[in-house]
Amino acid sequence: MSPHVGSKTLLNKLTSVKGDRLRLFIRAVCFTVAIVAIWPVFPDSNSLLFIPSLSTFVAIASLIGTRTFHAVTWLGLTIGVIALVRHRFFCRWICPVGFCVDGASKLGKRLGRQSMRAPQLGRWIVWLTLGGALLGYPLLLWLDPLAIFANIPFLVQPSSRLGTLLPAIGFVAIITLSIIWPQVWCNKMCPLGAFQDLLFPARRFLHSIVAKRSETDNKRNADLIIARRTVLSVAAGAALAYATKPARAKTSHSIHPPGALDESQFAGMCTRCGNCLRVCPSGIVKRDIGQNGLLNLFTPTLHFENDYCREDCIRCTEACPSGALVRLSLKEKANIQIGLPRVNMNVCLLGDDRECSACKRWCPYDAIRYFFSEEQYSLVPQIDAQKCNGCGACEAVCPTKPLKAIVVQQNPV
Amino acid sequence: MNNPINRRDCLRMLGYSGLAAGLGTVSSRQLFGQDVGESSGFQSSVIETHKVQSNKNAAVLVNGKVIQPRRELPVLDTTDVLVVGGGSAGVVAAIAAKRAGVNVTLVERYGHFGGLWTGGLVLLVIGHIVKGGKQVCQGIGEEIMRRLDKLDGAIIDRKASSNPTVDAEAVKYVMVEMIEEAAVKVFLHCWGVDAIIDGNTVRGVVFESKSGRQAILAKVVIDATGDGDVFAAAGASFEHRSHNVGLVSRIGNLDRVNKEKANGSPQPRRLGSPTPIKGINWVNLRGPEVDGLDVATLTRMEMNHRKFIWNNIQKNRKIPGYESMYLVETAPQLGVRITRVLDGLKSVTLADLKAGTKFPDVIAVGGSERGEHGEWQIPYGALVPVKTDNVLAAGRCICMDIRMADLVRLIPNCFVTGHAAGVAGAVAVTDSCRPRDADIKKIQKILRQQEAYLG
Repeated sequence: MSPHVGSKTLLNKLTSVKGDRLRLFIRAVCFTVAIVAIWPVFPDSNSLLFIPSLSTFVAIASLIGTRTFHAVTWLGLTIGVIALVRHRFFCRWICPVGFCVDGASKLGKRLGRQSMRAPQLGRWIVWLTLGGALLGYPLLLWLDPLAIFANIPFLVQPSSRLGTLLPAIGFVAIITLSIIWPQVWCNKMCPLGAFQDLLFPARRFLHSIVAKRSETDNKRNADLIIARRTVLSVAAGAALAYATKPARAKTSHSIHPPGALDESQFAGMCTRCGNCLRVCPSGIVKRDIGQNGLLNLFTPTLHFENDYCREDCIRCTEACPSGALVRLSLKEKANIQIGLPRVNMNVCLLGDDRECSACKRWCPYDAIRYFFSEEQYSLVPQIDAQKCNGCGACEAVCPTKPLKAIVVQQNPV
Repeated sequence: MNNPINRRDCLRMLGYSGLAAGLGTVSSRQLFGQDVGESSGFQSSVIETHKVQSNKNAAVLVNGKVIQPRRELPVLDTTDVLVVGGGSAGVVAAIAAKRAGVNVTLVERYGHFGGLWTGGLVLLVIGHIVKGGKQVCQGIGEEIMRRLDKLDGAIIDRKASSNPTVDAEAVKYVMVEMIEEAAVKVFLHCWGVDAIIDGNTVRGVVFESKSGRQAILAKVVIDATGDGDVFAAAGASFEHRSHNVGLVSRIGNLDRVNKEKANGSPQPRRLGSPTPIKGINWVNLRGPEVDGLDVATLTRMEMNHRKFIWNNIQKNRKIPGYESMYLVETAPQLGVRITRVLDGLKSVTLADLKAGTKFPDVIAVGGSERGEHGEWQIPYGALVPVKTDNVLAAGRCICMDIRMADLVRLIPNCFVTGHAAGVAGAVAVTDSCRPRDADIKKIQKILRQQEAYLG
């Protein structure tokens, strides 16, 4: 008897009627841990990163999309390895969303609702996304349940901005869906669950090595069908990513947090988990609420009206689970360009020869100089693009109202 | 003397001169003050030469070199605290020291008080507020502002979180009033040209005036020259910086701009901002970044700026609706911003401003340009030269990180460092110690008694 079969027996025992209470207990514990992790209970521990990083879906898509093994990729991969051994182990024992969906589904059933016959949407989401990831643009990564779960705190945090609240409604939608059609999210739609299903052939392959069993023709046919669909949907994903590339590169005029991937990738790689918004000590990260088209909806953008991107902070890059924000050292951050400020001399106090030196004084990188223009007979601020990293200190401190004379804009390069 | 009443008095005086020589003497004293030689006549009376320094010791050419011979200088005055420079820092320093109970002499190179605030026509007072509209400039500086409040047409925009604008003549008047009330001894038209030193210790200052070269001896000298003329002459180390040198002007008839006519035409730039006088704006000019100590540069700035200001007004007058606008005046004093910066025991730094550093030897709190940041403390060490003794810096030439220059040089920030230097000088005199050894607790206590804000 192999150790695998032994573990199976043990798990079978645990999941028997007797074990239901134990499972409920463990899931409740996991849910509690997850809530604590996503809540700002330990603000400096970066515990926020933990839950969205557990998603195998995000980890693999990020691995393919960015061609980089991120510091937290191993978390998602571990869950993937477990899925190879035990089918949907994560869903049944750990997933905090699944726990909530189960509760909602039970309520739905009690209300007389029945699950819906639906296609395996989740698999399509996975293949499309991975297909897109091959071209660096994982199309539907934002449907990851753990990233949606990470938005829950925004539901209760008082916020004037629609952008912070709206993505959190994703979780409410999943729960509502589960009441109306019990279990439909977990079984048919969830890309993280479906991803584990898709590891099924691999699992069987492992089984065949372990048990040395031959496969039946039926199963082989089923594999073929899966294989054809897989190839088609991956190709569709890649094609979509390719087709939207020129549009994507143009759509966003906003500034993303430091370390953000290229404009053509960022909207896809971003899971919209909201971690960067919540760790930012300056509160300058806000969500796009459609200013830059549908593709960029709810992605993080920087707003420097009141504060700037601190020279001693890299927290958003550390809190990103998908690598949409590349991890930076403080030194690296000083040398990147988040954006580049432009001066509107019609608004700038120097244009009217008034006494102001705010932007020059507050620039942490000493990148602003005032040059005397003989022609204008006045001072003109000039920005040294080599020194400037677009932190927005100049914009934050600019005293003109209602328009700021100096505004950080997306770097044209 | 164009005053007809005086002339009539004089004629009458001349008529009675044969009868009463004494009467004539009394009258001429009333007219000229006490330093005029006693004479029976009025116009072009002969003044006894011994009262004015003779030119016996003129510079001589020796082998093509100009040599200034050694000579003894007359001592004009001996005092406890000598304040050099009657600008916003110097006037406050003199009043503060006098109120702290020592003898004070104030000398000023121009004929009026206020320095760049009045002579430079820098009428907008920025630097007294911080984030949230809190006013950090208190003490004697605030007393000046309150006196301006009471005068008609002396100050506008005196409300929380806004920067007021003053009338230069009102400021000159209020400063004379306060200096006289405090009974500070004053010499105007005196340009401090040299320090009197004894090793590393300053004993007084040499002045050049129409009365010639004279000395004033003092126990403590406060360098409120803005350019650090005294500490530099005394051999203290400093940083010599360039900054923008401009020239302020005032323009008039802005209340007569024909708005209907002007509607649609481009709004002219450099219209400046309103002053307490109706229809008159003051217009700033930043100018190029140059060496404000170089006389050839200063000359060029004066001439170029005046040409530009005049031509700019003519250009603006061509804009429909603005035809009646005119140039009231250019400032008598050139707008030099920063020149010498003292090497002090401590420095006012931008890093400390950002960190909100609290100093145990805080003697003043500075404000922001437009309330865009919080208050920042100024340590006593920033006024004290590294080595040289008996001299304290006040105003824009205190020790600072150059990125703080545009805050340190603001008028209210000159008030507060002047206030601190005055009190510190008085404490050093009272306790017979060097200013660097002055009891900081005592300085802080007196500053608070004089209603200064120290955070």
